[in-house]
Amino acid sequence: MTDLHDLAAKVIAEGEGPRLPTPSPVDRTTIRHWTEAMGDTNPRYQGPDAIAPPAMIQVWSMDGLNGRKRTRAPLDDLLDALDAAGYTGVVATNCEHIYHRPLVPGEELTSATRTTDMTGLKKTALGDGYFVTWQVTWYAQDEPVAEMIFRLLKFRPREERSPSEGRKPYPLRPAVNRDTEFFWEGARSGELRIQKCGDCGELRHPPGPVCPSCRSVKRTYAVAAGTGVVYSYVVHHNPPVPGRETPFVVAVVELPEGVRIVGNVVDCAPAEVEIGMPVRVTFREMDDELTLPLWTPGES
Amino acid sequence: MAGTALAGIGATEFSKNSGRSELQLAAEAVFAALDDAGLAPSDVDGLVTYTQDSNQEIALAREVGIGDLTYFSRVHYGGGAACGTVAHAAMAVTTGAAEVVVCYRAFNERSGRRFGQPDAGLGGEPSSMGLEMSWHVPYGLMTPAAWVAMFAQRYMHEYGVKSEDFGRVAVAMRRHAASNPAAWFYERPITLADHQASKWIVEPLHLLDCCQESDGAVALVVTSADRARDLRCTPALISAAAQGAGAGQMMMTSYYRDDMTGLAEMGVVGRKLWEISGLRPSDMQAAILYDHFTPFVLTQLEELGFCARGEAKDFIRDGGIEIDGHLPVNPHGGQLGEAYIHGMNGIAEGVRQIRGTSVNQVADLENILVTAGTGVPTSGLILTRG
Amino acid sequence: MRTLEMAVGTTLPELVIPLTPTLIISTALATRDFTPVHHDVEIARAQGSQDIFLNILTTMGLMERFVTDWAGPEALIRGINVKLGVPAYAGDTLTFTGTVAERDGDIGTVDVRGTVSLGAHATGTVRFSL
Repeated sequence: MTDLHDLAAKVIAEGEGPRLPTPSPVDRTTIRHWTEAMGDTNPRYQGPDAIAPPAMIQVWSMDGLNGRKRTRAPLDDLLDALDAAGYTGVVATNCEHIYHRPLVPGEELTSATRTTDMTGLKKTALGDGYFVTWQVTWYAQDEPVAEMIFRLLKFRPREERSPSEGRKPYPLRPAVNRDTEFFWEGARSGELRIQKCGDCGELRHPPGPVCPSCRSVKRTYAVAAGTGVVYSYVVHHNPPVPGRETPFVVAVVELPEGVRIVGNVVDCAPAEVEIGMPVRVTFREMDDELTLPLWTPGES
Repeated sequence: MAGTALAGIGATEFSKNSGRSELQLAAEAVFAALDDAGLAPSDVDGLVTYTQDSNQEIALAREVGIGDLTYFSRVHYGGGAACGTVAHAAMAVTTGAAEVVVCYRAFNERSGRRFGQPDAGLGGEPSSMGLEMSWHVPYGLMTPAAWVAMFAQRYMHEYGVKSEDFGRVAVAMRRHAASNPAAWFYERPITLADHQASKWIVEPLHLLDCCQESDGAVALVVTSADRARDLRCTPALISAAAQGAGAGQMMMTSYYRDDMTGLAEMGVVGRKLWEISGLRPSDMQAAILYDHFTPFVLTQLEELGFCARGEAKDFIRDGGIEIDGHLPVNPHGGQLGEAYIHGMNGIAEGVRQIRGTSVNQVADLENILVTAGTGVPTSGLILTRG
Repeated sequence: MRTLEMAVGTTLPELVIPLTPTLIISTALATRDFTPVHHDVEIARAQGSQDIFLNILTTMGLMERFVTDWAGPEALIRGINVKLGVPAYAGDTLTFTGTVAERDGDIGTVDVRGTVSLGAHATGTVRFSL
């Protein structure tokens, strides 16, 4: 695992690779073909003053049906190393485009790629894996005209299971709506997310749609460090609880970020749990869909 | 509320298996309350119950022969509704919305749906309530005992409170119930050793820290004090009635407020009751404190101003809340001893204490404080001899 | 007139895209993406997918169209930031919904959500200038 991170650090340190010409120049026929297929009738993409649809930026870099001999980039070494380590699955998770200016037919572009980040090992709904992020910059001569930040997950596919062998659904399911789904999605990807107001920055848990401090509905989240201290706890003995073996511990955990959260303390005897005990978050897949953030004893 | 009174009380027997429908229980309790007041069903023009009650006001009105209704409402938040039903009724009488309002609560809470059993559906729907539950239920934190235990653990930690301190509440309630023939635990007192030896439900709560699920119904008649004076029994004047929820309030899991050792909502109720009535804790000769679980009896004594924060354990020592103590609490045996009827049986006991007819009567009683569900948005009453 | 309709909180008209095989294949080819999972159902299924599915370049293009269809040709798209979710398979329907999240002078940001029967396909923001 360490050498994957070492390799990633090396690849990132190499910075931006060489600027290579894109296979296609910006051209009217490709634009027309694209707007037809997308059903996009925006007049701005037609006529003598036409611009290229900004979202087409990556199209100019596509290799086409027969491909072409592409120069191997350091990023390829990293992706190959992940394959070799068993993280053979791949799924794109994020794509961001930034357009500095519109492009017009006839422009010739070059593009250059840099690897910017690798995080992991993360538990995800698909399996354990690493998130790799890279950035492509397109240039017209020396002018950067657009950028793309792309993130994918390289994951170790789970053991194949026929549906009948699938895990039994965990019976204690949370209700989730648009105000809370970020939290449960975070748990699935191994992040403990705390709602953060996009305006005043206040952290809040449990989350809600409106910032109680400034009325903002602009919601973001912070990823918690994952440490905490037991603020209070109970040991449940009776009556039996579906999906749980008794006794089990539930705690109110106080996070260094300043909020409290409820979760089970696992991996230690109930009698060892006490108020003030340091804990660290861990993510448990309860079934094929639900991952819960739980707490294990941590270092003080 | 000045000018309103409780004029009648009625109840069914309290059992583990009533053997009849919840609507029948409600009807029987209403007949008993109206007979107690000396009123007929046709005199009733208002009905108030809990949002959790399964008997619609109109269904009950059909059963008991109540005609036109000019006021009906429901109060939310489980047992926190108890005194709130009387508050709503008193406001209706004060405003003229109705003249005679009956408050009722009826359930087969032992033989039917049991509140103490885990319900995996609690986090099911993305309503505000379902979402609130969803921060707790997936971790198996899903019974009232567990929700309360979480507060109790922190309270014990901060104030050096021991399990025996909670046990003293249970011992007092069972002592009172032992001499109340209507109580489920009539003639069955316990010792502190029994409490300590009882099995864990959710640590730090033992079995004997928890009330038991019950079947039964209670109904109360609210009308103007003037009209009540002409009726069959001594009126219990409503000196104050209040509801309360605190900042950062949740249904039963308000763990995210700065202080986890108090009951902010009961503080709200207490301040309002003292303000409305002009009375003080020292004016109370007894109190009916909601006791579905022992720890919150201590917290209520503190929130309502009977003692300072963290000192309830000393207040209740040496029989402090027993019938001969400095503040007799729940002379009927409370929900731990008489029955868990969601706090409504406590209001009935408050009325008996005012009338001087309780089986465990507190001498020279002028005022009594009554509270509703704890850990939830709640309510309270001060009743005064008329 | 436009500025009033573009106030924060304004809801955009829904864009409903029936995901016919023709649409999936023609957009894949129009974005010069010849990866078989976007046009060959046998290969897509062999790789564990239930059908051919929309490629990411098309998702980006449709997010752009969703906003310019509403904002009009005077709006120039300045950036698109998408979190990718469940696949948009042939036979499903992709529905875009959105609200204006920010407005600062000539710059606006729309929160966009593209949903299919399996859940959120794409969630993110589209930034534009006027």
